[in-house]
Parts: sequence; C-alpha cells; structure tokens
Amino acid sequence: MARFDYLEPQSLDEALGMLEKHGANSRLVAGSTDFLVRWRTGVWRPEIVVCMQHVPGLDGLHFNDDDGLSIGAMTTVQDIEQNSIVRSRYPALAAGATAFAGVQVRNLATVVGNVCNASPAGDTLPALLAYDAQCRIVGSNGERWLPLTEVFVGPGQTALAAGEIMTEIRLPTPPPNSGGLYIKHSPRGAMDISAVGAASVVSIGSDGNCASVRIALGAVAPTPMRAFGAEGRLVGQPPTDDNVAESARLAAQASRPIADVRSGAEYRREIAQVLAERTLRHAADTAVGGVADFDDIRRLAVQTTW
Amino acid sequence: MTTQFKVLERNHPRVDAHDKVTGRAAYASDVYLPGMLACKLLPSTRNHARIVRLDISKAASHPGVRCVITGTDFPDIRYGSGALRDRYVMPREVVNFVGEPIAAVAADDEATAQEAIELIEVEYEDLPSVVNPLTAIGSDAATVHPELEEYEGYGFTLGHNVSTLLDADRGDVDQAFRDADVVVEDVYRSQGINQGFLEPMACVADVEANGRLVVYASTQGPYQIRAALAGVLEVPVSRIRVVPMELGGGFGAKLRLAFEAFPALLAMKTGRPVKLVNTREEVFTMNGPRLPVTNYIRSGVMRDGTITAREAYTIFDVGAYLGAGPNSGIGHGIGAYRVPNFRLRSYGVYTNKIYVGSYRASGVADMTFAVESHMDRIAHEIGMDPYDLRVKNALREGDVSVSGAVVPTNGLMETLEAIKEKIDWPRDLEDGHGVGLALCEWRSGSGPSTASISVNDDGTVSLLTGSVDISGSDTSLAAIAAEALGIPMDQVVVAKRDTDLAPYTGQSGGSRIVYSQGTAVQRAAEDTVQKLVALAAERLGVPEEALDCEDGRVYVMDNEPQGLTFAQLAAASITSRGGPIIGTASLSSMPYTPVFAAQAAEVKVDRKTGQVRLLRYIQAQDVGTPINPMAVEGQLDGGVVQGIGRALTEDQQFDPETGAVRNPSFASYLMPLAIDLPELENVLINVPAPDGPFGARAVAEPPGFGPPAAIANAVYDAVGVRIKELPLSGERVLSALNGQNADIDFDVDALRRAEGIAAD
Repeated sequence: MARFDYLEPQSLDEALGMLEKHGANSRLVAGSTDFLVRWRTGVWRPEIVVCMQHVPGLDGLHFNDDDGLSIGAMTTVQDIEQNSIVRSRYPALAAGATAFAGVQVRNLATVVGNVCNASPAGDTLPALLAYDAQCRIVGSNGERWLPLTEVFVGPGQTALAAGEIMTEIRLPTPPPNSGGLYIKHSPRGAMDISAVGAASVVSIGSDGNCASVRIALGAVAPTPMRAFGAEGRLVGQPPTDDNVAESARLAAQASRPIADVRSGAEYRREIAQVLAERTLRHAADTAVGGVADFDDIRRLAVQTTW
Repeated sequence: MTTQFKVLERNHPRVDAHDKVTGRAAYASDVYLPGMLACKLLPSTRNHARIVRLDISKAASHPGVRCVITGTDFPDIRYGSGALRDRYVMPREVVNFVGEPIAAVAADDEATAQEAIELIEVEYEDLPSVVNPLTAIGSDAATVHPELEEYEGYGFTLGHNVSTLLDADRGDVDQAFRDADVVVEDVYRSQGINQGFLEPMACVADVEANGRLVVYASTQGPYQIRAALAGVLEVPVSRIRVVPMELGGGFGAKLRLAFEAFPALLAMKTGRPVKLVNTREEVFTMNGPRLPVTNYIRSGVMRDGTITAREAYTIFDVGAYLGAGPNSGIGHGIGAYRVPNFRLRSYGVYTNKIYVGSYRASGVADMTFAVESHMDRIAHEIGMDPYDLRVKNALREGDVSVSGAVVPTNGLMETLEAIKEKIDWPRDLEDGHGVGLALCEWRSGSGPSTASISVNDDGTVSLLTGSVDISGSDTSLAAIAAEALGIPMDQVVVAKRDTDLAPYTGQSGGSRIVYSQGTAVQRAAEDTVQKLVALAAERLGVPEEALDCEDGRVYVMDNEPQGLTFAQLAAASITSRGGPIIGTASLSSMPYTPVFAAQAAEVKVDRKTGQVRLLRYIQAQDVGTPINPMAVEGQLDGGVVQGIGRALTEDQQFDPETGAVRNPSFASYLMPLAIDLPELENVLINVPAPDGPFGARAVAEPPGFGPPAAIANAVYDAVGVRIKELPLSGERVLSALNGQNADIDFDVDALRRAEGIAAD
C-alpha cells in the first residue's frame, strides 16, 4: 500500500512528457485492473501513476474493409465483447473478450492494457495473435508499428521502451470464408485465470482446402504464442479430422508449459492439444456458411465440458 | 402450505433485511472512533524457526507510529482454541508457520503502519520442520512442539506430533472381519479448505476512561472472545466488553479469538482506539482453514449387503496449533448406518503450516466423502444397487448411534425416497453422463442458551439473546417468540446485544441456534405468557385456569370480551406486585436429535479434458418443522454450494517445503460462481423433532457434506473411474481416465501396531 502521486494527462504529448520526466519511477495505467492488484500486494510500487483515462482520441473502435479493425488504447474489453462487427468478423476475439474475467472487470480493463500487461494467460491475447495484430507504439521520437508477435518478450515483459505508449492495435480484415474461436480452459466459468487458452482462425479456399490457418496458445509458454509449425501443417490441406488432429498435436508439441497452482505442465500440454483441435474444428466448420451466434460463441468459449 | 402454526412454516423476510440492503448495517470495519489508530501485522516468513533478533526500533521511531508490540509484550501465558493450550497469542521465541503474526504496529493511518511493519528487522534460526502429516506421524520426523507434554488440555496426547487421538469401539471387529463375505478397503484424501466468508476479520479495540476494554468484533462467539482475551491479557472477564457487529459470514472461522488481542493490547498501551481490518491475504495465511484429511476405511460386508464391520483410521492435519478440535468427525466414520462392530481412530497431527480452524461441522464433510464413496465401492464389489445398499443399512428409530444415544423418530427413509423419485433412480444415461448419491448425518447442536423477553408499553415485546445473527437466525428466533406468544412477527423487536447486555450464551455455530437457542426463546416466551396470564388473573379477578392467551390478548375463555391486551397488561404491570414483565429461560444442553439428508448429483464428464460439469443437484433433508422455510432453503443452498466447491474447485495448496499457503486469494482459491451451478433442487422433509422449538431440527451443517461423494459417485457412474482425492479437478479425472489413478499410500499397519493390534 505504498503512496504514489496520481497524474491525469490531458493529451498524448503531456503523457509522454510525464513518462520521460519520471522515468522508471512512474507507471502508466488505463483501466487499472492489473495495477491495483499488484500495487495492493506490493509488487508494483511506483512513485507516480500516469492515468490515460482523460487523453482524448484513444477510445475508438473502428472497422472498414480496407484497414480492418482499429482498437484504441482506451477501448475496454467490454466494448470489444459487445461490438457486432467483432462478433461477426472476429469471432475468436469476441470469444476471448467474453471469457475475460467478469462484466465489472471487462468494463474497466482495456484490450491494449491486456497486451501491455503481457500475461501468458491474458484472454484476449491468443485471438489478437491469431488475427495478426499490429501495434502502434508512440514515443517522444515518433511512432513505430510492431507485430504483436514481437511485442511479447517474456512473462509481463514487452518490447516497449521506457517512455513509450501503445496507442492502438490494428487487426487486418480476415480473408473471406473465415471462421474462428477461442476456448478458455479454467475450473470456473468466469472470474478465473485460464489454465490454458487456444484461439484458431481458419479460412477455406475455393478448393475446400485451408487457405490460411492461425493457431495461438495462451498460458502454455512464457508468452502467448503462435504455433507456426502446426499452422503450416494444415495450410493447403483439407480440414479433415485427421489433419486437424495432427495440426493440434504439433501445436501442443510446440508449447512450453510450466506447473503452478492451477495446473501441472503435462496436463496443460494435453489440454492445449484438445483446445487447439476443438477451435480448429469449429473455425473450419464455421468458415463457410455464416456467422456464428454470439450465445453459441460464449458457451463454447467458457463451457467446460464437451 | 397447510399448517397448524400462525407464524411458523411461512416465509418471513429477514428482520435486518432493510439495514443490509441499504448498507446501514454496521460491520466492525464501519466502526470509527475519535483518535483511532490503524493496526498492521508482521507475518513470519519461516515455518519453524527461533526468533534470534526482533528489532522494532526503526519502526517505533517512524513518524506517525504510536506503538509496536511483539510476543513478549503479552503476559507469558499459553492459550488454546482446541483441546490443548498449545500456543501463545503471539510467538515469544519460536514461530511455527509461515504467516504467523510476530509483531503489530499501531500508527496514525494504515499506510504508515505498513511502512513501519517493513522497518522491523527479524533474524531467524531455522529449526527442522515437517509439512506432510503422514510424515509427521512417523517417529523420525521433526518435532513441531518439543514441549507438547507440558501443555495443559483436556484431550490426551500421544506426544511427538500427535496432538490428540480419539477412539470409538464396539463389538468384536476383528472377528466380524473374519466372518465377513467381502472386505472392502480404501484410502481417501480430502484437501485444505478455506471457509471463504465474505467479510475479512475486523476489530476495533478501545479502552474506556475507567480502564475497561471494549472490543467491537466480527465474531460468532462474543463470550468466547471475551474469555480468551481475559486469559491472554490477564484481565478479568468483567473488565472486558465485546460488541459483536454484523457478521459477514464466518462458517466456523470466527468462533474463537482471531486477532482481537493485538489491537486490544495496542489500545491498552496507547490509550487510543485501535482498528485492525485484515486483508484477504491475511485471512488466507494467518487464520486457520481446514487442512487435509487422510482417511483409511475398511468394511466387512455380507453378500446380502449387510455391513457387519467397519474400521477407520483418520489423520487430521492440524497444522501448527489446534485452532479447533480436529476430531469432531470421528463418529462419522460410520455414517448414517447401523454397523454392529467398529473400530474408529482419529489422529490430530501437528505440522509446520497454518493452524487448523473450524468450518461448518469440521471434519464431517471429509468423513462423508470417504464413507459415502466407500458405500458405492461396497455396492460395486458385491454387485448391489448403491441406493438399495444404503436403504438396507440405514439407521432406524431405536438404533443406537455411534455415541451411544438412541436414535429417535426421524425422516431418513423419507429423504432417501424423495431423492430416488426426483432423480428417477436407477437411470440409464448417455455416455459421459452419470448420477451419484450421498447420505449425510449430523445432530442438532446443543450448548448453553439463554433468552429474555420483556413486554413493552405498546404490547410489543423485546427479545434479547446473546447469539450473534448468522444466516437469518435472528429472524427465526423472532418467529419462534411470536408463535409462542401468539403475536405477529412485527410485534417482536430483536435487540442488538453485547456481552454486557445479554445473558451468556454459546457460540453461533454447530447448527445450534434455532434448535437450542430457539428452545430457550420458546421457553422464555412461555414464561412471559405465564406472567401475563397471572397478572391478568389478578386484575380480572378470575383464576388463571379460566384464561387463555391469543392474538396479543389474555381473555376469559367463557367470556371472550372480558380480557386485557398485552399493552394494557404492560401498563398494569408497572404498578403491580410483580413489576414489569420479563420472561426468561436458560438451558445448558438438549437431547440428541439427529438430522439426515440424502443428496444426488448428475454430472457430465468431458473425456478429453477430465472436466466435470454439474448438471443437477438435489437434496432432501429432514428439517423437522421449517421455522422460516425461505431461510431453511437459503441454508440448504448455501451449504450445498460450499460442498460443490469442495468437490470440484476449492483447493488450499501448501508449499511442500515451507508449508506456506500457495494460493492466498480468491483469484487462485476457486469458489464456485453462479455460472458454475445448476438450479439447486431442495426437498424439505418434515418429521417433527421430539425436542427443539415446535419440532424444528437443526438445518445448517449437512447440506455441505454430500457433494464430494455424490459427485465422485456420479463421475464413476459416468466414466468408470473412482477418484479418491479431492477436488475432482479436470487434471485428476483425466489422469484417472488415462489409467494413472494411483492409490494413496498410507501405512495403516503402523498405527495398528502402535496400539498393539495385529495386522491382518
């Protein structure tokens, strides 16, 4: 319960200036849902807290076919979960959002905050990886774009330099005939940290084969991870049960899980394979033939037994 | 519902409902006194170590700090919460678990107090420690309490790490095993469990100008706290007043002294009020939860299903101290069955981890998991339907219980039949689906109970008891008073109480408030009526036998218009010979009244992940007369949800080396949420109790006993694996499905040999 000074910049430039001035003694917060827990338990003890709530222009959530989906830094997880475009075009992300904590936390927590917190178990992260997210990072020397795969460097660690702020995440428009799903494995149906999470996005070409495949896993490695090898196994192949199973096996093989209070390592690997298989199956099945109903997505994302 | 009662067997909103929903109800953390200081605690970082140096000088001189205390600031007196005086309120030389408070600070505000805590310097010299109770019971393990044999207590100790051994024997158990057709043997293990109450402990201590200590606390047992504080502070009981504030859940965790002695001593030293509001992490790491239980159980059975012999050896991990009697489960090694020959043993074993506490009939849920899983194993072994096996062996009226008491009239069979009908047993289900049963038993709680009722000027009555309200018990007590007095509920004012105001009473726990305290209220009401009638007889000039009392009025039976209302009698009483009317009652114990409940679970098991999903949960309980059916159902729902958490997700984990709690938060200690639960189905069976107020039985404890076994039995029915360890996590079930379901290693022969019993 250390004391800190609380600053509310009114512009991005002001925020950047504050971070530059206070350096390592400061911490940037958006929804503060991660911050408060770590501050209260003494893990984080900044002298200065810089809150982004009042910086204008960061709460946008926009979509067009050319640019895809733009998620501003203050967009909450609940904004994503409730958004009809996300539900229809990015169903795996809608699933990740609805599996995230509970409504009260979703109303505060931001998607960009979830990224910058860089927990291996963050529920929106596998879907963001599976949709090829690009991140806009602004510093005092201008801005740069970084693929999400390069943002995560370790548990709780990102490639952001001191004084940099992530202001936006952009997801390209998924290819036509795409389907996707995220499944969270946790003992509880809500308000729980995932023991394993898996997101798959599959598009089916005119030949009926998989034109593109994205598989991302959470909580089975030091960072959320793409399973590139497993994806390659399925691209250009028909999404038969055998092919899907083999791809899922490779995905699990690429994982590097640990044991903790939630799960043993071997169980995590087994579940990763099951979830990869189930999300791939669902993604391939829903790629052609319309939009999945959100209630179904929600049930599949958090339902514990198949 | 047709009923013979005017008030009972009807739903009554809680008397404190408005205060609770509007936020006006005052909890201990709502107490703010002028000049109040904030208290923080320093936890031990070692699980068995001598404190070589404890330097508080920097903390004491930190600006804003008013006082720092350590163990040696308290009188050199051991105290105990269970069977032995085995601890100091704050350690003087040796710490016994990670998290044990070793210093407390009072400062102007909480942040300053915490800063001071971090300025305290501690040097430890580690001592050999032991964390696993099955290791601790062995003779070559480290000794947790080298001075054990000096401790005062009322249990008998075996020395080394065995704090307590309870036993119960009947018949010739060894011969019965030799004569049995089939012998079934199992070992079960249940996990550490946190009580999971909503409101963390909180306390404000204040010293009045006359030197009396006043303690505002979140407690189930104000008189018990008063006695314990008097002991550890060396202050007479009469110099302490404990004010129990609204209770935000306790479930046994708040039956006894928690941390109240720290702000109390700080208040005595500073002369200022001191407040301690514990964090959730402190609740998890400093206040006793339930600890793991290992249960060896063996039965001799005849081919027709008659159980003829039972042996059970139970190891209760009690952690660093006996924070609660660990062994209340011993008689429950038999369950709700007639078993003519048995040998039951219950060991309380010290380890260097957080001390054991109480939780909703401590130990019985562990025993029920073992016994009711074992019943299904027996049924499987002899090829009998598990329902029929239970019916065949169930206790009947006139049987003798394990404790030797004769079983009175009860609704056990009715609960079984109700469950059978509801779940449509036996049922063929699709693959991956299963149904399981459990039978639960408990007794209505006894103990000292008192009540007083005074008649107000307007004819209403004020009810005063010393019992802290838990789960709407004040409302039930008011209903009992109203029924006995023949007035509506809203004519009963339930007084707020403290240890100065109210007569002594036992703790609010153990399913005793409605049954025992309710009996005291009923008798106090009857005493009140008798006094009202006597006064009316005097004023009306008729004999008492000619009078009746109904609807707040005493009248002449042959001439109804001739009578006096309670208000008139209250007015008259002021100048009467007898004076203002007060009815009282006091009792110390109640007869044995069992409570039986049958439960059924329907589950679906995910064969690929091992995850168990609960589809239905049904419970039928013989509650006797349901005083306030809505409250009864609330108790049934709440208890069964706690049992479901125990079955599926809750798991207090301890570091195998240090014994430290590994998951001290609700983010990692997982209690079930609404989304995890099916609609809960309750059947209230009403076989009135021979004793107890208006035929009411206890309600609170049995609902939580059944789910672990009922769900484990359903999982077996669904996918054919027998899980003998809790919780039934996906990981554990999947391991079993993968053929990796190792039996729990437990050397029962060593315990038998220690008693001189030959191994088979």
